[in-house]
Amino acid sequence: MVKTLLNRFAVSLLLLAGVANAANPEPVRFALIDPLTGPMSVVGQPALEQLKFTADRLNEEGGINGHEIRIVGFDNKINPQESLVQLQKAIDDGIRFIIQGNGSSVGSALLSSINKHNQRNPEDRVVYFNYAAIEPSFTNERCSFWHFRFDANADMKMNMLTDWVAENDDFKKVFLINQDYSFGQAVSEAAMRMLKEKRPDIEIVGNVFHPLGKVKDFSPYISKIKSSDADVVITGNWGQDINLLIKSASEYGVDVPFLTYYGNTPGTITQVGEKGVDRIYLISEYHGDFTDPEIAERQEKMYKQTGWDLYPRVSVMLEMIKKAGDKAGSVEPVKLARALEGLQFKSMAGDVTMRASDHQIQMPTFISVLKNNMSHGAEGTDFNFHEVAAFNAEQATLPTSCRMRRPK
Amino acid sequence: MSVFRPFAPWLISLAVLLLLPAVTGGSAVSVINVIAIHIVFALSYNMLLGQGGMLSFGHAAFFGLGSYAAIHAMNAIGDAAYAGEGFWAHFPVFLLPLVGFAGGALVALVVGWPFCRRAGTAFAMITLGLGELVATGTQMFPSVFGGETGVFSNRMVGPVWFGLELAQPADVYWFMAFWVFAAVLAMWAFTRTPLGRMSNAVRDNPDRTQFIGYPPRNVRFLVFIASGGMAGLAGGMAAVNYEIVTPESLSLVASGLALVMAAVGGLGIFYGPIVGAVVVTLMNSLLSDFTDASVLYVGIVFLAVVMFAPSGLAGGLEQIRQAWHRAELARKWPGWLVGAAAVIAWILALVLTVELVYLIRHGDDKLAQALGLELNAASPLAWGTVVILLAVGYGLWRVTAKHREANA
Repeated sequence: MVKTLLNRFAVSLLLLAGVANAANPEPVRFALIDPLTGPMSVVGQPALEQLKFTADRLNEEGGINGHEIRIVGFDNKINPQESLVQLQKAIDDGIRFIIQGNGSSVGSALLSSINKHNQRNPEDRVVYFNYAAIEPSFTNERCSFWHFRFDANADMKMNMLTDWVAENDDFKKVFLINQDYSFGQAVSEAAMRMLKEKRPDIEIVGNVFHPLGKVKDFSPYISKIKSSDADVVITGNWGQDINLLIKSASEYGVDVPFLTYYGNTPGTITQVGEKGVDRIYLISEYHGDFTDPEIAERQEKMYKQTGWDLYPRVSVMLEMIKKAGDKAGSVEPVKLARALEGLQFKSMAGDVTMRASDHQIQMPTFISVLKNNMSHGAEGTDFNFHEVAAFNAEQATLPTSCRMRRPK
Repeated sequence: MSVFRPFAPWLISLAVLLLLPAVTGGSAVSVINVIAIHIVFALSYNMLLGQGGMLSFGHAAFFGLGSYAAIHAMNAIGDAAYAGEGFWAHFPVFLLPLVGFAGGALVALVVGWPFCRRAGTAFAMITLGLGELVATGTQMFPSVFGGETGVFSNRMVGPVWFGLELAQPADVYWFMAFWVFAAVLAMWAFTRTPLGRMSNAVRDNPDRTQFIGYPPRNVRFLVFIASGGMAGLAGGMAAVNYEIVTPESLSLVASGLALVMAAVGGLGIFYGPIVGAVVVTLMNSLLSDFTDASVLYVGIVFLAVVMFAPSGLAGGLEQIRQAWHRAELARKWPGWLVGAAAVIAWILALVLTVELVYLIRHGDDKLAQALGLELNAASPLAWGTVVILLAVGYGLWRVTAKHREANA
């Protein structure tokens, strides 16, 4: 009790000090709207921790234009409607920067709701930073000035993936397994279209959809893969859907390569271990080689401090936002958004650009495969993803159909 | 004075509705709007369970389908508004809850007849099946239900009524206030109709109503339709509030919410579900800011009410009102007050236990921080406090039990 009172006293002293120091600019707050509880929290929590981790570093460098960065987590339980409730809560709270990544279904709801908010409140705009919802339409027919995407979209990734598949003559039979919603369908559709174009001899031996985040036992799907006699599997699964799919495949001794969008989802490596070596491929903006010692050190520190691996894309996003705010000399949403358009940045993987015409990031991309005895292992193991192919930003790019409408 | 007596609750409610936005701040309005939706939903549920004696586990099907009807109508208004002609071009968004009502009632009309042969367990199981059937069906027709993403729309279309553009939550509040008042009035009036009275009779003794010439099945069927319609009306309100409808709104979770709200508030009293809707919605939306265990707390409240206060929170209010009516309050309140103190001691013990268990499993919870507690799960002091609180509660309860019995 006495301790509590003393604590209260200390807190009030701090508060007083804060009042005395009122000349400091207000902190700039970012709302992360993502699954922070439940089975899908394996993709929300690492992003939250990464944002806080990067924010700490950037705040030491003076925050954004002198404003301290604060990250506030809002749990959306991966439900689009709940996400809008949380969005409203964040807006009511005075937060004007929204960050979200997991689930294009959620992203779609946020995108349309933020567009409506900005149309209805011309004096009070909200900006949406998207680090992983990669359904192509967000930067094509549905593109918006208020939305910035910091990950390559599903078509871009599939374009590179199919380029790589096309060069490999061993692949004759492809099996597609994806989550049954807009993103999973976009992956499957792009895979079929691009493979037909690049390697008409490849046969699609399976094209399966399963419910998003609801499957607990993937064995029926695995037996379909087995009986299809496929020699490569392509999947856009994320969250527990990739964890369980990979785990199930290794348990049933399916040893064909899995080309994944999110094979590095936390938990996958721990569960699959040795059985995934030379089998789990990943297409991503980074890999586990950590050739840059500074980044490698950051990975070690991040894992020690939070128990999660470094999430490079999320870190780059916040750093780019800081650079834009510094350039604009403001944390006012419209000014910051304008400064972010066309912004170039040197990330750990190379030069990246936020393309002004559709707000789709242009960045180098890598295909990597799981290896053992890596110098910097993921999830506290010795396993990590080793580079097998690299694409520079020009190879990664795709044209856009976006016709951007900008505020006056 | 006595002339106004029957109108007093309505006049007070009206005054509260008119004054509420002035009293509460801007950000509270969003929560109040949700409460309004839940009040109508919980009351419509109580038409079945409390007044008709039909335990339903699929009530969200009507809520959700009414919601879908309203959102598709909203899109139709948006499309027709461009052309400026046709029926929907002249239909104001303000009246969309009526479309929801029609949707819910129509579904109940189509599916209800075979359900209503029996009440009790058979009815509960059939409605459980219906709920699951509809929830699964939504995944099979993505063009109608929008798949995982749901269907979204824009409420700022069509003719504007009462100068309400429905741009801000504050605008929507007046829309909600109108509909919640109208719906509650309608449902109260329903209890006064011969049909409403007969539904009570069917609940209490179906055989006897059969003998006097009212087949229980017919009565149940009519009540089922009315209740489905009112749930659809709540769904229409939700469609306007969120501007998105997702398949989750038809799920078992939503049906469970209706049951929890009605039961916590009290099934036997007309205004019980209103109290329940307010309490449960506030707990759900505000508690989750402070603790990750918010769902657990709601569950505990539900359990406690079902086990120890079957007439719900409103039952307690009603007891106090009656005591006051009979001028027994002066005699009874000391006993009640000590009883309440005992309950509070138990609640504190329970909260402390949950927070301690949470601490062991997940690390510090935000609720403990908000309460200014610095818990240490390893210290006997913390667990000792739990035991002491429990003992104090039990002691208070036992010591004053005689007093309460004597004055009962």
